[in-house]
Formats: sequence, structure tokens, C-alpha cells
Amino acid sequence: MQRFAIPPRNNWQQAVEQLGFGFHTANSPYWDESAYYSFSLDEVNLIEKATAELWDLCLGAVQHVIDNNLYARFAIPPEFIPYIEKTWEEDHPSIYGRFDLCYKDGQVKLLEFNADTPTSLFEAGIIQWFWLRDFDADKDQFNSIHEKLIAYWSFLQTYLHPGKLHFACVRESLEDLTNTEYLRDCAIQSGLGTELLFIDDIGWDKTRKIFVDRHDQPIQNIFKLYPWEWMMGEEFGPDILTDRNVSYWIEPAWKMILSNKAILPILWALYPGSPWLLPAYLEPDRLTDYVRKPILSREGANIEIRRGGNLIRQTGGEYGAEGYIYQQLFTLPDFDGRRPVLGSWVIGQEPAGMGIRESDSLVTDNLSRFIPHLII
Amino acid sequence: MKKTKEIQLVLITALFASCNHPEPQWRAGGRTYIRSDSTASYTLMAHPHPGNPLMFYAFRPYGIYTAFGYRRLGYYSNALSEEVNIGHSAIKSAIVRGGFGESALSVES
Repeated sequence: MQRFAIPPRNNWQQAVEQLGFGFHTANSPYWDESAYYSFSLDEVNLIEKATAELWDLCLGAVQHVIDNNLYARFAIPPEFIPYIEKTWEEDHPSIYGRFDLCYKDGQVKLLEFNADTPTSLFEAGIIQWFWLRDFDADKDQFNSIHEKLIAYWSFLQTYLHPGKLHFACVRESLEDLTNTEYLRDCAIQSGLGTELLFIDDIGWDKTRKIFVDRHDQPIQNIFKLYPWEWMMGEEFGPDILTDRNVSYWIEPAWKMILSNKAILPILWALYPGSPWLLPAYLEPDRLTDYVRKPILSREGANIEIRRGGNLIRQTGGEYGAEGYIYQQLFTLPDFDGRRPVLGSWVIGQEPAGMGIRESDSLVTDNLSRFIPHLII
Repeated sequence: MKKTKEIQLVLITALFASCNHPEPQWRAGGRTYIRSDSTASYTLMAHPHPGNPLMFYAFRPYGIYTAFGYRRLGYYSNALSEEVNIGHSAIKSAIVRGGFGESALSVES
């Protein structure tokens, strides 16, 4: 893995905007093509292998949580447990997830798993693919996201309820909307009938006890870019449990087990010999160099890093009320002060590609930049 | 080869175009014409207006004949579900919205 500084394309903003990438710059560029990372094929194969095996480990961990009724560690409301187990046992459709990995000194380590509402899919699947076509079309890239999304939506067609597949996200975020519309784009290309609505447009029919769309039509299959922990706590949350259609929500409810960082100590307890895992615990006194993470948090919020008892990094935020986990410190690699984390995608049960976000500190937060990659 | 061979997008670029109008028409003083029934199929009127024999209904009316003549009960369209078409007021009054979406403005993960 190497990092190369390069001049961005002329009019790169126009190039990415023509692809539909409207959030490439916030206060500073989020999409950053002033550099790229290169990987050997062996390195990519290793990342791919880690991703496939981590997915298997995660499925085993979900079964373990269910079998041993460990929901309390996840701050999951008890009334949702039967529903979670139903979605697991009935194998409700799932489309994707993103492992955040640290790759350093030939080792791949899982930092966390964005199993419920991962974003940066569009950047990873589309924007960096077209960047490579302009930069060096003959080079390869760990990126079959687009074709795997289309193929898996197509596969899921026979498993979905009859009717449309709805897609929902918040109305205020172009990033969320773009990710959602990209997924819908692939669903359309797979032959599915779709409809977009914003999450607050979802209706609940009190008489029929079903969810409905803007046209009052029943919602029976819905992809939602909206976390389960938020849904459960909102007004319509309990209605999911009495929904007469038993709609398929994608990602399904059992994914809230994997998107919760409380899964990290369970993974370590189950598979301590795995080369892809870092020691992780619920108790703070098992490690001397560790990262404290809230079990429910987003964008690097409320992280605390300690080395030998000394606090070396801390981020603010509003998370932590549900508890924390403690994970062995495994610092991100340092490329002249730039620290990349690999987002490795699972689509339809298979490794599908990766996107790299780079930060100037040990914590990858909402100021991180997306850097393209290629295979040499 | 680890990368997708060819990529086509059917939807996403149109989305971006719609999100980046520099100035809404109404701000510039222009008028925007929006059909409220944009999903509805057009249906030729059963009793067209004498001055416009090709006038279409967006929604087909339905009703019953009584001792006092024809009584219109409502409208329906093939583009909408049967439950919506025939249930009108009772169904709609039972639907509430806004029960999701209060937690944050973006998922940012």
C-alpha cells in the first residue's frame, strides 16, 4: 500500500458533478483526487479474504447473540427481540454492509462494521471508477460494487413481497439522497419497480395497520437509509411490530446487532484466534492501550484513545449513554500525517470493493476525505 | 480483474440535475405548473365538453344511479391502489405521517 500525490484532473469538479456527485466539497474537498493509494494484487486479495471471513464470523456472532439472549449488551429494547429474531430466522433480505478496516504492516484488522446504514457507496462504486478510467484506464481497482448491486437486487426479486420496492432517506441530506438513489438506480437496472420517498413521508394507516407511501399505497418492501436505533425510538417504531404486511425493511432488523459496537467484544470472545480481529472488551481494565467507543455512535464521535493510561486523543459528541466498548489500539498507518481507513464492502454476502477515507488524525471523522485507489 | 467492466447510470444524474437548479422559477417571478395527479392515467370523458371533444379526465369518476338520478361517489385511477380509490375519506383519515425522521438530518456513517 502506497500513497502517491498527483495533480487532480482539470475541472475535476465538473467531471464528478456530471456523474451526479453533488457533495464533493464541504468546507474543503471531501472527494480528494490530489492523491491515490496503490495496492498490489496480493494486498487486495488479502483484504478481500479478510472481508469474506469477517462476514462469516459476523453471521456466527449474530447467532450467538440470539442463542444466548445477549440483547441487553446492545441496549436493544426487549419488545423488539422477537421481531429481530423473526427477521433472522426468516432470512429477510439484506443488500450490503461496510467493514472499516485498518491495513498496516501486512495485517488487516477490523475496526467496526457499518452493517445497517453505511454510506460512501456512491463514491466507492462510481466516482473512483470513473476517476480511474480518466487516470489510467488499463489499471485495475478493487471495485465490482456496481455490478454486484445490480446482480443482487436481481437475485432478491423472487424473495421480496409482491409490489414495489420503496426507498427512503432523510430529505435534508444530499449525501444520503445520492446514496439512496444510487441503490435505487441499481435496483431499476435489475428490473425492480421502485419508488422514492422521504422517511418522514412514510404513513401509518391506523385502520389497516400497514405502512403506506405518499399515494397511500401499501409499503411491503422498503430500503431505508435510516438506522434501526432511531426507528425504534420514534413514533412509528412500535408500529413495525404490528404491521400486518410484515414489510421487508432493508437492511433487516437483525443487522442492528452487527452495526452495534457491542458486537466487537463478542466477536473477540468467540474467535480470539482470528487474524482479522482486535481484542475488545466491555470492561475498561483489560487493556492498557485502547480505544473507547460508544456502542452506538457515528462519524467518530465520542471516541477516546488511551496509551498506557494516558489520554492521547478524544472527540466530542452526543453519544455514549448506552455504554462503551474497549478495543485494542491499532493505530491507522501514517502517510506523512495522513491516516487512511479502508471501507471494504460486502454486497450480497460477497466482498465487492473498497473505498478509502483519509484523516489527519487517529480518528476518522466527518472531516475525512475520500481518496481513490488502484491496483498496480 | 477486480473492477466492473462497464457502468451505466439510469437515474442518478437526473437526480443531481434536479437538485442543482440555480434558482427556483418562482423566485424569478415565473409560474410553475404542477399536475397533482402526475401518476394518473388519462381517461377520455364519458360526456365530453361540447367545445372540446378530446378533453380527458385524469381520474375516472364513479358513482351509482338512484331514484333521484346519478350520484357521483368519487374518482379512481389505475395508477393508484384499489384501496385508495374506493376508500377515500375513511382510509385517508386513518393515515398519519411524520412518525419517522425526527432523529437527525443525516445518517453520516
